[in-house]
Amino acid sequence: MSENYDVIVIGAGHNGLVCANILAKKNRKVLICEARENCGGLVEESITNFVPQIPLSVSSSLGGLPVKYKAKSTIALSESGQHIRLVGNQHIDHKVISGFSSKDADRYVEFHDKMSSFSKALGSFMMASPPRIMNNTFSDYFKLFKLGMNVRMLGKKKFNEFARMIGLNIADELEDNFENTLLQGLIAHDAVLGSNLGPRSPGSLINLLYRMATHDNSIFGGIYEIDGGSKAFVDTLLDISNKNKVEIKTSSSVKRCITENDKAIGVELHSGEKIYAKKIISNADPRSTYFCLLGTENLDTDVKRRIKHHRSKGKVAKLSLSLNKQPEFINCDKNDLESRMVIAPSIDYIEEAFNPSKFDKLSMEPILEMKLKNSDQSNPVLDIQVQYASYGAQEGWDKIKDNYVDAVIKLIGKYAPDIQSCIETKTIVTPDDIEKNFYVSGGHWHHGEIQIDQLFMLRPIPGASQYRTHLDGLYMCGAGTHPGGGLTGIPGKNAAQAILEDA
Amino acid sequence: MNRDLRFTALKKTPFHSRTSLASRTNKYYNWNGFTVPTEYSTTELEYTAARNGTSVMDLTPMCKYMINGSDANKFVDYLVTRDLSQMEDNTVAYIIWCNEDGKVMDDGTIFKFSNTKFMLCCAVKIYNWLHDSAEGFDVSFEDATDTTAALAIQGPTSCSTLKNYGADDLELLKPFGMKQYNINGYDVLISRTGFTGDLGYELWTDPANAENMWDSIMEAGKELKIRPFGMHALEMTRIEAGFIQTNTDFMAAEDSLRPVRMRSPYEIGMGWLVHLNKESYFVGKRALKKEKETGNSERCLVGLDIDGDKPAVGSVIYNEKKEDIGIVTAAMWSPTMKRNVALASLKRPYGIKIKENIFAEIYHPEELEYKKIWAKCKVVKRQFFSPERRNKVPADLYE
Repeated sequence: MSENYDVIVIGAGHNGLVCANILAKKNRKVLICEARENCGGLVEESITNFVPQIPLSVSSSLGGLPVKYKAKSTIALSESGQHIRLVGNQHIDHKVISGFSSKDADRYVEFHDKMSSFSKALGSFMMASPPRIMNNTFSDYFKLFKLGMNVRMLGKKKFNEFARMIGLNIADELEDNFENTLLQGLIAHDAVLGSNLGPRSPGSLINLLYRMATHDNSIFGGIYEIDGGSKAFVDTLLDISNKNKVEIKTSSSVKRCITENDKAIGVELHSGEKIYAKKIISNADPRSTYFCLLGTENLDTDVKRRIKHHRSKGKVAKLSLSLNKQPEFINCDKNDLESRMVIAPSIDYIEEAFNPSKFDKLSMEPILEMKLKNSDQSNPVLDIQVQYASYGAQEGWDKIKDNYVDAVIKLIGKYAPDIQSCIETKTIVTPDDIEKNFYVSGGHWHHGEIQIDQLFMLRPIPGASQYRTHLDGLYMCGAGTHPGGGLTGIPGKNAAQAILEDA
Repeated sequence: MNRDLRFTALKKTPFHSRTSLASRTNKYYNWNGFTVPTEYSTTELEYTAARNGTSVMDLTPMCKYMINGSDANKFVDYLVTRDLSQMEDNTVAYIIWCNEDGKVMDDGTIFKFSNTKFMLCCAVKIYNWLHDSAEGFDVSFEDATDTTAALAIQGPTSCSTLKNYGADDLELLKPFGMKQYNINGYDVLISRTGFTGDLGYELWTDPANAENMWDSIMEAGKELKIRPFGMHALEMTRIEAGFIQTNTDFMAAEDSLRPVRMRSPYEIGMGWLVHLNKESYFVGKRALKKEKETGNSERCLVGLDIDGDKPAVGSVIYNEKKEDIGIVTAAMWSPTMKRNVALASLKRPYGIKIKENIFAEIYHPEELEYKKIWAKCKVVKRQFFSPERRNKVPADLYE
């Protein structure tokens, strides 16, 4: 048995790639084992259409990440054609909203400033490795103290407001502030996007704050599209990997971690091949990492409990419609079609769509976030994120898939009456498909709910924060770790730091 | 009828018709949801029977879980700190189990029938814990607490009593051995185990056989000084034997509200049950290994031999500078040993490295006034009473 590598990364998702490259730049010999044929994981298949910008701290530790972003504006579609178009700029947005309600416009600026200051206070905490309370060390408590101070420094009034809002549902806050239901629906949509919450679920507000913290502390700003699509992004990462001499083995799914004296010393592939390394990093979700890689027989009962209770049921499906011509959206110009189009007309509408999902059922009137690709060419593609498409739907995805797709198309038809005639092919990727094809338990975007009991030092589970698992030598760098999902690369970067600290 | 009252009523054990008949004092207490006698006549008399004749105790309220399945042997090895991989069929082992922090949850006994069938016997309910631990193992559980009647037959003449009852060749059964009998048409499992530190057995049978079994054993022991005994007498015998009791000598990890009250095996004198060199993982291994390596155990549970004859119940223990260094968890005047003994939880290094100049502050009630006694203590082995007959094979027989 020889230690061939310094580090083996399991999974070539973007966090795995970021982590591998940072380590390779520090002269570590790195191998990535990827179960699929392609790298990039959920990013490669462009599960998400709109992304935040990779933070400077991540790109600089990679030695620069030559990716071009295009800022996107947002349009909330209305059946009547009274769409709201927001760009994330206070002055412009104020003007736009005052076209609907001058009261809302003023309130929006106030609301935005307040939320923005909160998300800034969270910001530094978001970027760094979270404290580990179970460690009982000074530096960990200091980190926590700093977060408390960040919020306290906002002033007594804002601090009280923060304490009031932290567990609140987004619907209450929006209804207190705004009268326009479409605007309420749009903000509520962004608050619940990718989560297992309805706008009236407690905790949906912190979800929005969390999103803002990675999106330039803005509600509708900080939303980008990558030039060349997600493929370009992954290719860039692969180029860097090439330069850094990171080895990548595709179609090599890992069966388990090899341990010796309760320390991870290598991995065994499903093919039977065994590869050894000093450190193992899992880009897989927490459940797979613990139950498959670590193995249930190596876990304490309490840890099994936490992993079993880890909430990671995906709620978002991706529907791609390839079209033969550009559909006519009511009252939309070319610019609008290039924006992020959202169908979530009101809070009540979203809540109705959410209700069946509580019982693992599907609403036939879901909420949608859409992107029209190649809009200027003859073969445009409409990519749609369909929310509250429950993982393991009771109706059975096999049976209901076609009906569900038709229902979504019918819904789009209300805003683009000719959509039906434009469609050539339709493909849907349900959370069940994500689980099967991408090896993400529960098919959750973020490898686990972004909710207060699964955030910061509680992410993914207490005792496993700071990217270290319960097994010596096994680390985690996926979206299941702090600060969570989204195309940020922060988990990957922080995990790499944790490994360098331990070495 | 008031539903709540009905549901909170304590259950009666299958022996209740007999134990209530034998009880002269009508003193009962709640043991694990069952009503069982605290004492039948006088505790002293019952204690004396346990040390000189045969004592009978209704054990039915003990939690009993059947563990079945192809991974049953792997599972119990994973659950407990002791290495059970070499355990033989038809034997019993004393065990403890811990949570992830290596803090003791409870102690108990495990009965091995075969690699696929075990019975776990303990004080604290752990059905939930078993299920959550079972993730990844092919095992199933059955709570046999209500469906198994259990009786402890303890004392020097217990073997003879049971032989009269129909347990042939019982004297050949080794300590921690068990044997299946068919007596009076019913299956009876007899194990050479007990909580008195003396020769003794425990009988496990169908509840339908309970009354018949009680009657037959009482008849069989008529000439052998047989007597039912209650909780108070048991408490005396177990202190003499140096056995620990969950939530008395240490707090069960799941029951302590304050994390600092939880105890590791090393802190309650159970380090000998922790096999860190066990090949497979067991719950709490990482934490226990760390504790062992760093040696940062904070407490210890020791036996104390105390000057004078006043039991140090609940006493605070001091060093010579009158600094509080621990507390007595159980204490008594031992009639058999003629010693004033106690179990005490001390802050290390007291009890381990420093065994001298330890004092107990005893408040002895005397007709509505307390007499305060400052008594010198000697740290001794916890096992105060351990007669040769306890482990003798063949066991002593009497006529």
